[in-house]
Amino acid sequence: MGWYKLKSILGLSLSLAKSYFKSRNEGSYLGIFWYLLNPLAFFVIIMLMSQVINAKPEKDYPLYLFLGLIMFNFFLNSTISSTKAMVNNSGFLKSIKVSHESFVIAIILEFIFAHIFEVVILGFFMMYFKVSLLGLLFYPILFVFFVLFIIGIAFILATIGVYIVDLNNVWDIFVRLLWFITPVFYFASESSLLYRINLYNPVFYFLSIARDFLIYQQMPSIFMTCLAIIFSLVVFFIGSMIFTKNKNKFAERI
Amino acid sequence: MNKELRLDVRNLSKSFEIEVRKSDSVLEGFVSLFRKKIEKKKINVINNLSFEVCAGEIVGVVGRNGSGKSTLLRILADIYKPDSGKIFANGRIVYLSGFGQGFNPKLSMRENIFLMGSILGLSQKDIKNKYNEIVDFSELNDFSETLVFKFSNGMITRLIFSVMIHCLKHNYPEILLLDEVLDAGGDIDFRKRVNKKIEELLKGGAAIILVSHDMENIIKYCNRVILMDNGNILMEGRPQKVVEEYINSFK
Repeated sequence: MGWYKLKSILGLSLSLAKSYFKSRNEGSYLGIFWYLLNPLAFFVIIMLMSQVINAKPEKDYPLYLFLGLIMFNFFLNSTISSTKAMVNNSGFLKSIKVSHESFVIAIILEFIFAHIFEVVILGFFMMYFKVSLLGLLFYPILFVFFVLFIIGIAFILATIGVYIVDLNNVWDIFVRLLWFITPVFYFASESSLLYRINLYNPVFYFLSIARDFLIYQQMPSIFMTCLAIIFSLVVFFIGSMIFTKNKNKFAERI
Repeated sequence: MNKELRLDVRNLSKSFEIEVRKSDSVLEGFVSLFRKKIEKKKINVINNLSFEVCAGEIVGVVGRNGSGKSTLLRILADIYKPDSGKIFANGRIVYLSGFGQGFNPKLSMRENIFLMGSILGLSQKDIKNKYNEIVDFSELNDFSETLVFKFSNGMITRLIFSVMIHCLKHNYPEILLLDEVLDAGGDIDFRKRVNKKIEELLKGGAAIILVSHDMENIIKYCNRVILMDNGNILMEGRPQKVVEEYINSFK
């Protein structure tokens, strides 16, 4: 794929993402509030719950929880939407020669916009809990790999979504299950069964690396970092390969 | 005519497999595991078609609904893949169909122009340069920040047409496929201006294939008309003659 082609795909993705964002928010950037409401509400609910069940949360639990919530939310929203990426745009794909990739990437860009605002709120939290903001500087590097991983998954889901129309329902349940398996709101000690299960869960890797950087200010384990990078690159390449191989048949199927 | 060949289609065929099964859902698929396999029906939409189009020529395609006109254009535009046959295209192909590709009623007119422009393949910078021209042509200068769902039908037609025409002029495609694009409304004055723009495009030497149900337009613009029926070319020739034949087929 040439540079020019890549540039045009990204350009179209960006304008589509802008339009999704604006139309979801009734044309105003104030609507960002609705994106933020979900993680904030969850945050408050789980904080209250942890008081009720009297779990003894570790130090900086609110930060631990909020970072987990916003990262998992980003994964959840972008993958669920991407299952319908092709079907919802069948009008375009049937009537104009346009790069199919843009519709998937646009969805992810839309949630990246929202995620940026969530990270800003996280920054305020970190200041409140007197945690150094230095970790935030490293976050974009990790986030790039996280996004590559999600784009790979999104490409695969978008492809399957063409052939199986109710994939979104199945995926929705799967992701919510994953939400409970991944230590988003609880801790999994290294000896527990859950921890061993999570070693097969790529999302867990990204979450724990981010927490090490941002909250505990320590280097994440090299083993985890390497695996996360390999995961993201492999998933990205497999996803794009599957998508590219099948995209020519999409217009006839939707 | 001794002109440069733009588009040469040889023995093009395309069939669709229509499944009798109702939908592609997981549930359906699971349930149908326990049933007998349902046969697929094969429908030949395009049947061994061959034709050529030269530079500066407008070829009309007419036919009843379901005769394969739109499928033909989509194959030429590389949206559908043909089963067999060859297409030689000498130049860039642009396909326009229906109305409102990328049109989002919840956005303002300004945002819509940028969105439609980028779907039609323009960069943000190109659209910015063309923006005033597009708005002037549509005569909607006072409404640039109005949300489009408040527009009347006439206003929407004018908006979409202006964007399309200006994007076309920007791209200057050598081969243009128009699928029922000229059939849409607009008042006499607006149509006059649209016609002028299309004539400008023609003088640029583009080869155009025009699918339309508006016989007046077909006779007015086309040099040659193809009558299609069930994926076959029934007749090819002078517009007046072919259109007459087509209209007679309904009697």
